[in-house]
Amino acid sequence: MATDAHAASALAWAATALAVLLVAVGALARSAAPVHVAVALLGALLLLRHDLRLLLAPAYGGGLLVIEELATRSIELAGVRMLGRGVMGARAAAAGATAALGACAGALAALAVTGAPERSLALTAVGAAAIVVAFGAIGRLGRRTRAEPPAPAGPPSVHPQRAAALPVEELPNERVV
Amino acid sequence: MTGSLSPRVAGLLAVAGAGAVAALASGRPELAVLAAPLLLFAGVGLALAQRPRVSASIELDRDRLLEGERARATVTLANHGASRAEVELLLAGSALLALEPPGPVLVGVAPGATTTLELTALARRWGAHSVGPALVRVRDPLGIRAWSGQLGGRLALRAFPREQRLRELVAPLATQPFLGSHVARVRGEGIEFADVRPFAPGDRARQVNWRATARRGALYVTERHPEHASDVVLLLDTFAEARGGAGGTLDAAVRAAAALARAHLARRDRVALVDFGGTLHWLEPAFGTAQLYRIVDALLASEIAFSYAWRAVESIPRRVLPPTGLILAITPLLDERSLRLLADLRRRGADVTVIEVSPFAHTPPGRTESDAVAHRLWRLQREAIRARLQSLGIGVAVWEEDAMLGPALEGVNRFRRSARRSLRV
Repeated sequence: MATDAHAASALAWAATALAVLLVAVGALARSAAPVHVAVALLGALLLLRHDLRLLLAPAYGGGLLVIEELATRSIELAGVRMLGRGVMGARAAAAGATAALGACAGALAALAVTGAPERSLALTAVGAAAIVVAFGAIGRLGRRTRAEPPAPAGPPSVHPQRAAALPVEELPNERVV
Repeated sequence: MTGSLSPRVAGLLAVAGAGAVAALASGRPELAVLAAPLLLFAGVGLALAQRPRVSASIELDRDRLLEGERARATVTLANHGASRAEVELLLAGSALLALEPPGPVLVGVAPGATTTLELTALARRWGAHSVGPALVRVRDPLGIRAWSGQLGGRLALRAFPREQRLRELVAPLATQPFLGSHVARVRGEGIEFADVRPFAPGDRARQVNWRATARRGALYVTERHPEHASDVVLLLDTFAEARGGAGGTLDAAVRAAAALARAHLARRDRVALVDFGGTLHWLEPAFGTAQLYRIVDALLASEIAFSYAWRAVESIPRRVLPPTGLILAITPLLDERSLRLLADLRRRGADVTVIEVSPFAHTPPGRTESDAVAHRLWRLQREAIRARLQSLGIGVAVWEEDAMLGPALEGVNRFRRSARRSLRV
């Protein structure tokens, strides 16, 4: 039993080190993909615990979301040469709100799971349908295009007609939809 | 502006989906609890994201400057939307402008507010540059969606070449009958003493040289050289250039042309400009400050236009090449076509001087021994070209880019004095 605990601890440390390495690789490569692999790896680490797993899961999920938020925002800021006033404060507030939102969402999910009946094929089917519905709703949100009026133009510059001549430069880390 | 999804959305959904599926498959509800915040975050972020209503305007504190100087660009961002906008801004500019800061700037703009950014643009080289538009990317507060596009216009920024002060210029062989600063070879009303001669009917009393008259016992008068202007044609060779990392011979040639134009116009000469290369541009001779601005503006558009076309003197309009004008050819002597043109001009009796912009600063000899031998041969070849031009009566001033132009012109004047007889038009 003691050997199993020792092995689990060693595995947890190794996985944590690998997650840190992945976050560092993501920051260097300015890519969010390694960060998400690291988040998945850290999430899987919760399964190594044998006690209080469900109780810890909401806070753990919130923590994972904060890690993801900080890592991806750091990647975004890596190319920025000058930061305006108030940007860091707004980011810190967003990270705090993210943590609170994650913990609340996790707690709600834990409550729902605690009150659920025993596992059955029907319940699994309901769960699968819920996943499909949730992803479908998010997909619709991602595809939507709001018909909003265009932004009002600023004061005219000297050669506004020439602005169109400059090719649009795609900024990194973005995917046009 | 073009909307886009942050790549983190795909990552969040992938991790959350994997957790949810694993929870279903393994019957471990903790994994679903872990996945729920990620899923909710992506959903809330997408639901709250609104198209930003941001506008920008760009202003420059000046529209012309000298190369090496800085202009200040003020970018004003206005947020007309209902939520705070986080704007990442990158000011576009010509490649020869160094913008400071060199990368994107991230600022937050409160709803209904404006934010002003101060950036500087350093003109690394002369030319007609442009600043703007601003490439912006606006993110929603949760960083789930981004909108990118161009805001503001493109402003012109003209960087004039640095100029050297020239004390000595190439003295023209012939002058025009306009008041100027060159001592003419002819005799007439002026300041410089020329000779004394016996009095003749029509001479004025104030011309009488009383000392010579007293010494010789008869009336003698003083003759003087008048101060006249001359016609100067700046012939800029744009067939070819030698270019290294820090610049090229054309950059230096334009600086020299601007300095010569300023100096000759200050001496009341009429100055013309011929940009002779793959394309032909010219400015007819004229006096004054307006002509200086015309010349400098024309020089800013100078570029090497690659061409196989052989151009001869006939392609230059006659009115641009005054018959008794001084032709100052500013050339790196790299293209056979420009050499033929110079020789042709000289054979037609034109007073031609070559200011050779040395290409050696941009053409290091190479590392291997054979490279060094080839470089030496090339140098010898260039010396032979110079000797060929001098044998035709064309003075050649070799000018290294980092050196002063004045001493090179003094060397040409020495050559022209010694070879005056052969140079007489």
